[in-house]
Amino acid sequence: MGAVLPLLLPLLLPPWAAGGAAVCGRCPGPVRNGSIVAQYCASQAGTESEGRCCRERGARPERLLGLDLSDCSLHSLPPGLAEAAAIVILDLTENPLTPLPNGSFLGFTHLQHLMVPLALECPGGSNAWENVTMHGKSWLCQGQRNPCNSSGELAWLCPENAACAPDGPGLVQCLCDSPFHGYKCLREGTFPMLLFCGILGAITLSLSLLLWGTQRRKAKTP
Amino acid sequence: MAFPGSLRRQPANRGLVSHCTHHHIVVFLLTFFSYSLLHASRKTFSNVKVSISSQWTPSCLNSTAPELRPYELWNSNHLFPNAEEATLFLGMLDTIFLFSYAVGLFVSGIVGDRLNLRWVLSFGMCSSALVVFFFGTLTEWLHFYNKWFYCCLWVVNGLLQSTGWPCVVAVMGNWFGKAGRGFVFGLWSACASVGNILGAFLASCVLKYGYEYAFLVTASVQFAGGVIVFFGLLTSPKEVGLPELGADEDGGVEEDANRPLMGNDDADDDDRNYSIQATDTVNQPKAIGFFQACCLPGVVLYSLAYACLKLVNYSFFFWLPFYLSNNFGWKEAEADQLSIWYDVGGIIGGTIQGLISDVLQKRAPVLAISLLFAIGSLFGYSRSPNSKPINAVIMAITGFFIGGPSNMISSAISADLGRQDLVKGSSEALATVTGIVDGTGSIGAAVGQYLVSLIQENLGWMWVFYFFILMTSSTILFISPLIVREIKLLLHERRLRMLTE
Repeated sequence: MGAVLPLLLPLLLPPWAAGGAAVCGRCPGPVRNGSIVAQYCASQAGTESEGRCCRERGARPERLLGLDLSDCSLHSLPPGLAEAAAIVILDLTENPLTPLPNGSFLGFTHLQHLMVPLALECPGGSNAWENVTMHGKSWLCQGQRNPCNSSGELAWLCPENAACAPDGPGLVQCLCDSPFHGYKCLREGTFPMLLFCGILGAITLSLSLLLWGTQRRKAKTP
Repeated sequence: MAFPGSLRRQPANRGLVSHCTHHHIVVFLLTFFSYSLLHASRKTFSNVKVSISSQWTPSCLNSTAPELRPYELWNSNHLFPNAEEATLFLGMLDTIFLFSYAVGLFVSGIVGDRLNLRWVLSFGMCSSALVVFFFGTLTEWLHFYNKWFYCCLWVVNGLLQSTGWPCVVAVMGNWFGKAGRGFVFGLWSACASVGNILGAFLASCVLKYGYEYAFLVTASVQFAGGVIVFFGLLTSPKEVGLPELGADEDGGVEEDANRPLMGNDDADDDDRNYSIQATDTVNQPKAIGFFQACCLPGVVLYSLAYACLKLVNYSFFFWLPFYLSNNFGWKEAEADQLSIWYDVGGIIGGTIQGLISDVLQKRAPVLAISLLFAIGSLFGYSRSPNSKPINAVIMAITGFFIGGPSNMISSAISADLGRQDLVKGSSEALATVTGIVDGTGSIGAAVGQYLVSLIQENLGWMWVFYFFILMTSSTILFISPLIVREIKLLLHERRLRMLTE
């Protein structure tokens, strides 16, 4: 029964929940008792668990808080992981993981607690985290540092009109400064379309009428 | 007796002033701004090139820096891999435009003479505005970027834009007689420069909202101009019952003293009768054919001369800022501003030389003398010291002697040729002739852009100036038969006048 439920879940859930459910059903069973994810969820009010996930109860759109992928025979990160980018806590222990490619946790800006097997290091390097501790057979990486503020080697330079913003552990992105927007932040403000159309229309109309009245009214069309 | 009739209008400005009505002023302004707006939308394109090429490319990467994120914001557009290729493509669009513009000029002149000039001009302005809107605004709004689509649109734009010049010159030629034409057209040919300034101004005002709005604004204003032209332009004095200018009033003297001028004089004396009686026949004058127009005296020679001269003139427009920043190391914005002096010289030159040619009643000798000075000023300019004021002065002088004659050939002389006495029977030749002259000139200009870049890369700037001198000399060579003829006529005329006195 426990093995069937995760397979059925995607079918039973409404479409808006399907994305989260795919990751949650990636590994069999519920959140393991005693894992950091279970502890975290127990400490937070208003959460419920679904498969390997822990999420806010009744929040729409669904917001995942924690994900327990421990003991899941993962060699690499599951492809649907990006859908869980909002999670706060992630457990990857007891998996035969190979070193993770740079940028695996792109967009995981809320991630505050991450457990990875000892064979790996904390994503983004230990500099990207406030606190790295050994926890049994795994590393516990806690508290993301904001790489934009670091004055070290990664003094990040964004192009004109854009500013650096954190984008996951050890990762940065460049977002447009306030009045700028659009591709490469090239645009500033919004074009006063109504004003422009109004003025141009009024001028065209009045000039056309004026000129028609003074010039073409008595014209003999050949 | 022929002479009293033609001498009556001799003082250049009297004919102009006495015939000037509010219709003349409105026509002058409407045609002036029509062509200004067409030129403004071309200028917009060259002023937003940096923004466009930045929109078409991913952010530049040096291999060491990590890629900018998020991907959608910085790297999602891969129309061109880098800014250099985008610039090359934009340069290619310029060339495509010039060629299709040149081809279009030959066609639209013929079309303009056969259909109503007002419709053709209005249609040309509105449709080319739509094409510019598609090119710059709609593709950006829909995020549809495609090289072939851009090329096709720019070919169409060249063809549609080419309706402008022959039509406005033809309308001006209908309203302003040969007597004051040199002066009026000299003043009027400032429209291209005014258009450049207008385009640069409009583009710089809205560029911060995105390049698509620069296109949107110029296209909308051009469209509005087309609508206003449709409702307000009188293509010829006969539309409001004013006396139509016959074939050019004093053209008879130029051709042969024996030609019957009586018909011409009658028309001038009781024009109203003439226009009413003759409406049926005059309203549908047979338009002249392309080859007939080519065979009109002076058309081929002036076209060839203009091809050489427009080559030099356009090279100055396109390459001057680049030359200044490349050769003297001046900043690009400063070089852009400085190059306005060439335009200023051209406008003043066109007006003053036009005035002189009106007084003399001969244009070719004025052109020749101006072009001789042009060779000298080109030589001087190529040796200009690295000083902005001195350079600006020599530049204005060069503009005076090159831009002036160039403006005169493309406007006043085209109008002279299209309204000369031989055309009188089939009077709709103006747009066709203007199209031929300007079309040949544009082909020269298009080829010239290519040659200048070739010469500059392989031989250096000094040879570019020698090339300009060679082209200016060829211009003189092409008009020399006309000079000989006009001087002969001038002497002949003087002798006749002495006989009558």
